[in-house]
Amino acid sequence: MNYTFDFNAVSLGPLLDGLIVTLKLTVAANIIGVVLGFPLALLIMSRVSAIRMPAMLFVEFFRCTPAIVQIVWFFYCVPMLFNVFLGSTTMGILALGLNLMAFNAEAYRASIQAVPREQVDAGIALGLNPLQRVLYIVLPNALRASVPVLLTNGIVIFQQSALVAIVAVQDLMYQAKTLATETYRPIETFTIAALIYFAVSFPVTQIVGHLERRRQVMTS
Amino acid sequence: MTSASAPLVSIRSLHKSYGPHIQVLKGLDIEMKPGERVVVIGPSGGGKSTLLRVMMGLEKIDSGSITFGGKPYISSANADAKTAINTDVRRSIGMVFQHYTLFPHLSVIQNLVLAPCKVRGEKKASATQRAQALLERFGLGGKANAFPAQLSGGQKQRVAIARALMLDPKLMLFDEVTSALDPELVAEVEQVILQLAEQNLPMMIVTHDMWFAKNIASRVIFCAGGVVVEDGPPEQVLGSPREERTRDFIDRVFHIKQ
Repeated sequence: MNYTFDFNAVSLGPLLDGLIVTLKLTVAANIIGVVLGFPLALLIMSRVSAIRMPAMLFVEFFRCTPAIVQIVWFFYCVPMLFNVFLGSTTMGILALGLNLMAFNAEAYRASIQAVPREQVDAGIALGLNPLQRVLYIVLPNALRASVPVLLTNGIVIFQQSALVAIVAVQDLMYQAKTLATETYRPIETFTIAALIYFAVSFPVTQIVGHLERRRQVMTS
Repeated sequence: MTSASAPLVSIRSLHKSYGPHIQVLKGLDIEMKPGERVVVIGPSGGGKSTLLRVMMGLEKIDSGSITFGGKPYISSANADAKTAINTDVRRSIGMVFQHYTLFPHLSVIQNLVLAPCKVRGEKKASATQRAQALLERFGLGGKANAFPAQLSGGQKQRVAIARALMLDPKLMLFDEVTSALDPELVAEVEQVILQLAEQNLPMMIVTHDMWFAKNIASRVIFCAGGVVVEDGPPEQVLGSPREERTRDFIDRVFHIKQ
């Protein structure tokens, strides 16, 4: 191999600016996903099919189409259909946030349904009414169980956010692409970009692993 | 209205099935007097646990009725009808399960005070005081702030008993409460139940532990195939059973023990 690596040709400044945009996208999308995913989970568990069906359609749309298609669709079709354009970053946040909301709703639903029947029985035996059983037994149990999945989904969105570069949001990926073109050093640039993504994601995955091990001890 | 001889619980022709083919209870009749400690024994699948779950109001029934303290408690006209459960009556019954079912996200003391505070509107301070006293009595005084995951099986089960007692039940149901325990932890749980027996708390116990049955029962019911096969004082049912099926069962159980 006669390629000489030159990492000095890549200036970190723009990449770190891009990282800040990426983190903003991630945090904003996670706020949407974590907060609104929960009521959405309640809708998909509704016994009324007029409520359940649209909610499930929403979730399945986001789960069954590529994120990149969703982002492009949002960017081009929403302004046309609704006559609003909110700026590329806002559109990126909305697309990522709604995507995450769908996945988090599934995470909430799964953990609510995974609360053991025995826990509810114990609540009945203690005279708690249905609302009290949900508030004091089912939800605290379920929300704790959902934390590792929410974190995993959150970190997936951190990585997926790289896709918004194609609609000109100046995130880490966008900056890396620009820099690679300017410096003719794509290998070095994308290596550094990858390391930055890794440096943020890896600790979170470790935290998830730790939480899951602790939960196994708690529930056994 | 409840005189000394009036039954505490009166179960009439109780039928219960799971799906169209599995009939678990096939017309059960049991009358329980105040102060009685009824131990229900019998082979697996004989309907013992189902009986307790029905009495706790955890299961729908096909037909039959249960009254408690003279009041209608549970009834259903037929399998398609909704099972009517008087939830006020249900609150005077406590139950302890095989797998403890403590709430894992709450500390021991929080497990105990949850229901009194939420169900009866008791002040937290007073409930906490009662809970602490109960824990002390059961040898768990130092565990108030521990979480269930930090306790042994025997400790968990004693906490579960204390939790049920916080609501001053008029009847306690124990569903195989020592079956999931390591052998050396069984005694500490049985001791606690024997303590309650001394106070004449009415109870219905499902157990496979014949030593325990003999020591705690004022009456033993042998249940098999969804009906009561034999019903009498412990010396009779456990010692010299009249029914052949009871004798077979007792022989086999004690044989395994030896």
